[in-house]
Order: sequence, then C-alpha cells, then structure tokens
Amino acid sequence: METQNRLWRVLLLALPILVFSVLVIWPLLSSFYYSFTNWNGFNRDYEFLGLRNFAKIWTDRLFFNAIVNTTIWMVAALVLPTLTGLFLALLLDRQVRGARIFKTVFYLPICLSAIVVGQIWIWIYQPDWGLLNTFVKLAGNPDFNYAWLARPDSALFAVIVAWSWQQTGLSMVIYLAGLTSIPSEMLEVCEIEGATAWQRIWRVVIPLLTPSTVVVVALSMINSLKGFDILYIMTGGGPFNSSDTLAMHMYNESFKKYLMGYGSAISVVLFLIALTVIGVYFRQLRKVDEIYG
Amino acid sequence: MARVELRNIHKSFGATEVIRGVDLTIGSGEFMVFVGPSGCGKSTILRLISGLESVSSGQILFDGEDMTRTAPSKRQLAMVFQSYALFPHLTVAENIGFGLSLGKTPKTEITRRVTEVAKILQLDSLLDRTPRQLSGGQRQRVAIGRSIIRNPKVFLFDEPLSNLDAALRVSMRLEIARLHRKLGDVTMIYVTHDQIEAMTLADRIVVLNGGRIEQVGTPMEVYENPANTFVAGFVGAPSMNFIRCCVDGDGVARFGPAGIRPTRPHEVSGDALLGIRPEHLALVDSGQGTFDAEIELVERLGAESLVYLRAPFLERAITVRAGGALGLSEQKLVGVQVDLTNLHVFSPSSPTLKQDP
Amino acid sequence: MADVAVSVPARFNPWPATVFVALCILAALFLAPTAGVLLSSVKTTRAIALGDLWSVPDRIYLENYAEVLFNPAVHRYFLNTLLVTVPATVASIALGVLAGHVFAKLPFRGSNILFLIVVSGMFFPPQVILVPLFRLFNGLGLIDTLWPIILVHTALGIPICTLLMRNFFAAVPNALREAALIEGANEWQVLTRVSLPLSLPALAVLATLQFTWIWNDFLWPLIFTQSDDKRTIMIGIVNLRGQYTVAWGVQGALSLVASLPTLVIFLFFQRYFIKGMTMGAIKG
Repeated sequence: METQNRLWRVLLLALPILVFSVLVIWPLLSSFYYSFTNWNGFNRDYEFLGLRNFAKIWTDRLFFNAIVNTTIWMVAALVLPTLTGLFLALLLDRQVRGARIFKTVFYLPICLSAIVVGQIWIWIYQPDWGLLNTFVKLAGNPDFNYAWLARPDSALFAVIVAWSWQQTGLSMVIYLAGLTSIPSEMLEVCEIEGATAWQRIWRVVIPLLTPSTVVVVALSMINSLKGFDILYIMTGGGPFNSSDTLAMHMYNESFKKYLMGYGSAISVVLFLIALTVIGVYFRQLRKVDEIYG
Repeated sequence: MARVELRNIHKSFGATEVIRGVDLTIGSGEFMVFVGPSGCGKSTILRLISGLESVSSGQILFDGEDMTRTAPSKRQLAMVFQSYALFPHLTVAENIGFGLSLGKTPKTEITRRVTEVAKILQLDSLLDRTPRQLSGGQRQRVAIGRSIIRNPKVFLFDEPLSNLDAALRVSMRLEIARLHRKLGDVTMIYVTHDQIEAMTLADRIVVLNGGRIEQVGTPMEVYENPANTFVAGFVGAPSMNFIRCCVDGDGVARFGPAGIRPTRPHEVSGDALLGIRPEHLALVDSGQGTFDAEIELVERLGAESLVYLRAPFLERAITVRAGGALGLSEQKLVGVQVDLTNLHVFSPSSPTLKQDP
Repeated sequence: MADVAVSVPARFNPWPATVFVALCILAALFLAPTAGVLLSSVKTTRAIALGDLWSVPDRIYLENYAEVLFNPAVHRYFLNTLLVTVPATVASIALGVLAGHVFAKLPFRGSNILFLIVVSGMFFPPQVILVPLFRLFNGLGLIDTLWPIILVHTALGIPICTLLMRNFFAAVPNALREAALIEGANEWQVLTRVSLPLSLPALAVLATLQFTWIWNDFLWPLIFTQSDDKRTIMIGIVNLRGQYTVAWGVQGALSLVASLPTLVIFLFFQRYFIKGMTMGAIKG
C-alpha cells in the first residue's frame, strides 16, 4: 500500500509543483538575485552591483514618498472597508427584509475589475458633471469645481475611497460568515442576563468576531500591498507622485525607466513587508485558533 | 475459501506501537470475531489484513500465499465499513456494481449480477435510489451487496452494526449469520465491541488487549475458561466478580471469614484472585451461605435482578444475578452461596481489564 | 375559570424599520457609481457634457453600445481575453485538484509545510515576480503572445485551487476512498470516480473565482503584451480611452460590456462566489 501511495504522490504532485516552482518560487528567488544587478530589461548582459541598488533606495526621495503613501494607503484601506463591512454585516445579520438583495448590492463591486472600478470613480470625481461635485453644487455651492484626482492633496484619498467601495463587500461577507458561527446560545445568555442591544454587540458579538477581524485585517493589508491596477488607471501615481505606492513605484522604475535591477530591489522590499504581514497573520491566526478554535 | 495467516505482526504509527506481535490462523470458511476494548488494535488488524495499512513487520498469508505487500484490490477480499461507505453520488445499483464497473466487465453482465445480488438482499425495488434515500438497515444491505458481488474469498466487517439502533441491530445480526451460512465457505473476519454479536456470530473469538491476543477460542470456551482476568472480566455482562483471596496448601481459597475449595483444577497458590460470574452466586438467608454481605443496590431488569453487595472484606461491590421478583430491600444483610464448580482462580499478576466505575 | 384568549398588542419595535431604511440609503449610495456608468452609456456625449448625466433619460440612446459592439478591436480584445481566461481557469483548477488530493488523502512527512508554502503563494504581491518572469518569457521569445499570461495565471491559481480542493477532499470520508480501493480502484479512479463527483460545488466555486480574477486582470497582459491585437479587454479599456477621449458614453458602454461576463457569472453563481471568497480567506 505504502509503495503505491508513494508512486501516486509523485505522479499527482509532479505537475502542480513543477509549474508552481518554475513560475512562482524560482522567480521569487531570482528577484533577490536581480536586485543586485543593473539589468535593463533588454540586454542579455548586466553588471553585478552588490548592494548598490539598496543603497540607492536610501537616497531615493520617490521611494520614501512611495513608502509613506503605501502606509497611508494600507491604514486607510484597512480602516474604511473593515468598519463599513462590520457595520453592514451587523445590520444584515438580523433577518431584515430583502437581506439577500442588500447583500448582492454590497457585494457586487467585488466582481468588477479594478480597471472598471477606476473608470467608474473617474466619473464620480469628474470636476464638471461628476456625482460628487454635482452633490456639492446641489448643496448650495454652484461654482464648485474641484478636480479631485488632479490635486496632490486629494488624489490618494480619492483612490482609497474607490478602492474601499470595492473591498467593503469582502469584509462584509467574512464578518457575516463569522456572525453565523456565533452560537445562538451565547446571544440567548445575553438576553437572560439582561444585556442591552448595545452591550450585546460591544461586549459579546464584536469580541467573538475576533477571528474574522484577524482575517479581514490581514487580507486588506495584503490586498493593499498588491493594489496597482486602480492606481494605474485613476492617477498613474500622480499628480506629482502624490499617489505613488511601492507597487506603482516598482512598475515605473522597471517598465517605464527600464531599471529592472533597481525595480527588483524595490520588489524585494515589498516582499519583505508582505512576509512580515503574513508572518504576523499566521501567528495571530494560530493564537485566535487556540482561544476560539 | 481462504485460510488467513498472520505471522508475528507488528504495527506502529510513529512512535506508538499498536500491534505488538500477533500470530493467528483463521481457517477457511471460518467466522472469526475480534473483540476488545477501544484502542486494543482490533480495527487495525482488520485494516492490516485488508491491505489498507501496511504492517511494520511480520507476514500476512492467504492460503499460504504471501500477501504482505499486495495491494488491497488484489487480495480478493471485501469490506463492510462502520459508516457503510456508500458513494452518495451513485444509485444503489451503481454502488453495488462499482467494483465491476472499474474493470472491463460488460454492462449487461454488471446489470445481471447486480440484479442477482439485489434479489438475495431484497433490494430489488430500491436499485434506482441514492443512499441518502435509504434507511440504516437498507444502507447496510447495500454495503453488503457491494461486497458479495465480486465473490470475495475473505469478508471483512468493521463494526458494521454499531450505527444501527438496537432493534435493527438484532435483525441485521441474524441476517449476517444467515449470509455466512448461505455463502458457505467464505472466511469472515468481524470486528466488534459488542459481546452479544461476538458470542452469537462467531465460530471463534479473538480477545485483544493492548495490541496483543489474550485468548482465542470458541465463544463458550472463552466464556467458560477465560485464560486470564482480562478475558474473564471483558467477556460476559455483567462482568465477572473478582475477590482477592489466599490459596493455602490444601487448595482452600480464603477471604474474610470464608474458605472455599474450587473444584476446577488450577495451579495457583498463595495470593490469588477468585473469579465468580454473577450467575454462579445465589442469595440465601443470612448465615446460611458461604459468607454474609449487605445489599447496597438492587437493579430490577424485569426477568431478573442484579443485586450489588458489599462486605468489609470485599474490595469492591460484587454483583449477583438473582430472580425477577425477589423481596429484597437495600441495606439488608443476606447470605451468599458460591457455586464451587464454576470458580476461576487467577494469579494476581494476570493482565487485568481496566475497569470503568 | 374560562380560558380567555388575551390578545396582547405587539409592542412597537422601531428597530427593523430603522435598519431597513438605513440599509436602503446605504444600498443607494453603493449603487450610485454603477448607476452613473449605466446612465452615461445610454446618453449622448453632448448630454453628458451639458451636465445632464444624473437624470433619468427619456429616450434610451443605444449608439454608444453599437460603437462598442461593432468595433473590431473590441472583438479582438474579447477573443484574447477568452483565450487566456478559459485555458488558465481549467488548467489551474486541474492542477489544484491533483495537488489537493495528495494533501488531503495521501499526506506524507513534510506535506504540511509544502502545503503551507504553496498556499502562501496566494498572499504575495505579484510585483515581486514581475522582473524575473519578464526575463524568462523574453528569453523564450514569448513576449507579445498570450502564452505567458495563460501560464502565469495557471501558476498563480495553484495556491487557491489547492487550498479549496484540499479542504473539500478532506471532508470526503476516508472510508469512501478505502471502500473504492478495496473494490479494486486505483488512486486515479478514487479521484475521478469518487472524490471529484462529490466535489462539484468546489469546482463551481473555483471556476467562478478563477474566471473572474483572470478576466479582470490587468497587470500581466500589461507586462507581457505590446501590440494591440494581443491585448486583453481590460487593457483595451485603457487603450480606447485615448480613442474616445471625451466620448464618455462610449467609455461607459465599453466598461459595462467588458464586465458583462463576470457580472453574469456573479449574479448566477453568487452562492459559490461568496463561498469561495470566505473559504479562501478564512482557511488561509
């Protein structure tokens, strides 16, 4: 039996592991390698620069700008969809009339591509007839004409709002799944002990949702590190690099300036940040598992 | 149809050894039942015979042919699982014909054989249903049908009745006995923790404990001549009573005020354990029996009563099987009469059953 | 004493109504952006430019859709996207099925670590492997073909497909596999005749997820293709922005048409979609 099992293991795993190794693991490792070179993307040859790309990072003002923007992006894109998603899930958890339709509405944006979402929000922010400015005009400011995406002060936040609009459904769904796994006895205990609705939510429901919160937080952080498409179409990192994130900066350096070695160095930094997030995530997940199992 | 031999079988999972050297020959056409407390390794032995698990060391032979490294599908055996293991996406007919459909058997042949088997098991009217639409007993019969269709040499049952309710269990037990007779000389190996199944179905019983065989024998042999206190305590319900005693040079076993001479031959002297089955004790008036004891509790089961007695020289309460409508009251002092022809004497170092309170 | 049915007037509970109204307002806010695009797509550019976007049109103007649907470039984009999405979806699920079966039913020493490595592939920003993959496919002369996109999506789909399939296969009772083995099945037959037929919901989940993600992807076609007739639809939207600079209505129609396949899948297979999202997220 064991002999056959060994054979089947090899037969079945060979292809998936081969494809995964060649197209994911190997490129991941060689990214480190290229980060020590000055490869330009076209020539066969390149020079070995040692740590010079990483030294350059220290002096690259745009890199620090990208780090700051990525941090803002990560924090804002974490707080907004998480809170809205939690709020929506709490509203929808009770048997509201039409709950299914509401869920579909809130969840719908997730099936749209970031490109289409970007496109939609460009409309909203359009200075002359966009929904946002139309509202402001209706609210008694008829000459209001603010180009949200063209101003360095607002561009990044404008994109974050669009991004949150799309991501809210995801955290809502995860919270809803978490809510259904709370045993109804626990809520009945609250009723018997005489807790108010407010106390029930703050003292019982939200603490019991901790596993979902861990998942939502980690997922939003990881997703915001990946965020690229929506920035590409809405601002392209501009104006004046005001919405340039690490992923965007890496793309620009590698594929606009053809500094693929330097781009790899940036991607290594990106990788290390992601690794930290994932590491913390797995540890929290294990901790949460021990308590809430 | 096949003689199954196990030679010095050992099996470890990681660092834990679950089977510690088992030697056993199961005769062709024999109905062999493995019993033992949970964790004794009875299911593991069955899985080793089936080939689903590989032995760590030792040999498994079918009719003298070494099967130790043979794949389960090549061993010509069938297995009925505790959960029935019916394929939920297939109909009854497809479930029964599953094994045949894997090979090159033509469709018409499969249909013919499936109908045949279904008739034997009275499943003809259910062939198009899926397992979910069947009752527990019907599922069990489908599982058996799937096993017999390929004419296996060896039949393995892994606690096949434990998922059924009590009434159904009795009728399925009869059905399995009938099947064994009908199939004639098919070797059947049956794992259970239910003593009644073991006693009623088995040609021979294997009592297992901690990965070792404690005793092999016909049901009555095992019941009447248990090899050690483990077997004695495990087989029979309610369990055998054990009383610490001292056997003197004359062969008289003394405990408390009592001294009795067991009539069965034994070789124990000095400290010993006296084993007495509840049915071999009788209640008499105080002072009239072998010793006196106080009634702690009476469980009335209708046809009979179980009386639990205590005495200062008894380590734990002893059980007496008594008639149905006795005028017994708790805390009454009674005499206990011991049937001297049915006494078992064990050495105190004999392996014992860990008793749950 | 006679039994008197006392009817207690139900105490008025304001909560359900409040929650319902709140949800309606939020839903309207959530739908507004999509509604805007929908409205723009049935209006003339002139009407939009005059600030008439947010009114309900009295006449539905379909020229924008005609412009999109009869544009041969759009046909090309759609075809390319299909040529990428379908094979990559099928291939990634197939590989996930193979690996998932091993991790669920044939575990071995170290298989948990291997599984963890494969699954964590789901979490890394794709930018990390951008440059090496570009060099790899450049060296193979495959830049500006659809091949690298198909291959990379297949590989990047392995983590989620393996994760979901393993979880599903693990839920199939071991006794079923063992019964099949005893009946004479080999491991391949166990997989194809027992495990897979029982895991159709998982396949549906993965098919919807993978199709949507690959269809919507922008980064990989952006990196791997250059000429217009190799571009996929999401790149097409960006490219055509130049052609239809102020033709807002055409852009809106194009966005909607490009999202149609994923919208349809989402609306019809929402259950599977949500299940996949939560399973992928939570069991990770």
